Amino acid sequence: MKAGAEERAAHHAAREIGGEDVVFVGIGAPSVAAVLAKRTHAPDSTLIYESGVYDANPSGPPTSTGSPEVVEGAARISDMLSVFADLQAGRFDVAVLSAAQVDVRGNLNSSVIAPGSESPRLLVGSGGAHDISTLVDRLVIVMAHDRRRIVDEVDFVTSPRRGGPDRSTILVTSEARFDVTDAGLVLTGVRAGRDPDEVVAELALITPVTLRDPLEQLSEPGDDSLQAQRAFMAGSRG
Amino acid sequence: MSRSRLVELAEAVADHVRPGDTVFLGGFGHSVPYGLAHEVLRQRITGLTVVKAGADIVLDELVAGGAVAKVIAGYVGNPGIGLAHGYARARAARTIEVEEWTNFSVVLRLEAARLGLPFLPTRVLRDGDLPSLLGERLATVICPFTGEPLTAVPALVPDVALVHAQRATAEGMVQLWGVAGDTVTGARAARRVVVTVEEIVPADQVRDWPESTILSGPQVAAICHLPGGAEPSYVAGYHGRDDAAFRRYDETSRDPDRLAEHLSALAVNR
Repeated sequence: MKAGAEERAAHHAAREIGGEDVVFVGIGAPSVAAVLAKRTHAPDSTLIYESGVYDANPSGPPTSTGSPEVVEGAARISDMLSVFADLQAGRFDVAVLSAAQVDVRGNLNSSVIAPGSESPRLLVGSGGAHDISTLVDRLVIVMAHDRRRIVDEVDFVTSPRRGGPDRSTILVTSEARFDVTDAGLVLTGVRAGRDPDEVVAELALITPVTLRDPLEQLSEPGDDSLQAQRAFMAGSRG
Repeated sequence: MSRSRLVELAEAVADHVRPGDTVFLGGFGHSVPYGLAHEVLRQRITGLTVVKAGADIVLDELVAGGAVAKVIAGYVGNPGIGLAHGYARARAARTIEVEEWTNFSVVLRLEAARLGLPFLPTRVLRDGDLPSLLGERLATVICPFTGEPLTAVPALVPDVALVHAQRATAEGMVQLWGVAGDTVTGARAARRVVVTVEEIVPADQVRDWPESTILSGPQVAAICHLPGGAEPSYVAGYHGRDDAAFRRYDETSRDPDRLAEHLSALAVNR
């Protein structure tokens, strides 16, 4: 089986979840990554959706955090206030998010592209993303490996990265893994067999990217990963 | 036994949703009050301020149908599909005012109202570009015990909450189970609640299972029997989510003329 770019990104992001992590999960690519982890190497992880669903095990990709797929097989349905209360109280280990744009400081934009221009592109807004990026200790951001998505400076800071000694932010794409630091991006891993300089150059960033030595070689998703992802996308628990 | 609050949909909306009201929309992916919202459009009620943590296309319809003056929300889109096109056009044309909050802060504002407090403190909305847009709607308070600076978000009291639930008694005991999201917080924060339900049931059925009762008493202004009143969203125990309808809406709402046709069809078909 050959993996597509989205499948590689999900595979790499899933590796960030392990053990008994309690995971706050967003819709879209974050859900694929979190469910993949749960279905493969992290069966004891606990997935939580902002609609109030705790310990979810979605059968297929949910279109909204309140969708039937999220509820089916879940341990508990509470409400949104409880989920954000637990987030603020530090009861979650990690969150997985995506956005329209991310910048080299780890700030996320889901509000507007090109504000102040003749035709700004108005987006859906924060949802819970601002609350998550502000409050969670470990944040995993999944993005397409695309220069329009990963930028020097986001057009609008919807969800700021909060730095600090006990906090970490990881940016994962189909081609790379970065630590996001106060000083910018640190490339820690690259898709096996690819030239790291070329991978970084594809993002056309002005801000320098630091390359960690040695770089981790990110393995291609194996058949188990692809089968699990594809079963999930097809709405099967297979 | 208290008086019956069971009325027809048109009467409930005419009596309890007034032009210029601040309206909380119930539902969260699940049990979204489409029937009530469509009646608001039918009655051409305007000038509403609509409140919701995460809003789906029901808000897009209300905006495109001209009912809304202002939106207070954390997210407005077509979940899992993309943008709310009617809403985005209205924002771009500045025919509506938008306050962009976050899901947590909207819920906290409603919870402050529910608690009867003027504000609640939180650690969000301190950094990034949202706080400066919100300006004086936010303040910093210093915790009197720890000295920690916190963001104060003001209470938000909806005049009316529109809620769809599984069942209720005619007298206004309302039962909702499954995903609620911000529904219960918002409904309990509101001055009055208008509820549509799949089934009207006798009180003993509610009293056999009181843990599912989310509302009762004088806050419930009206109950309407409206099976299917949450379509195309789903209602646990009654019907599934019509995912295709959300995809069709994405297509339809890209074109203002087609969206207008869709909205006028809603006004006729009830």
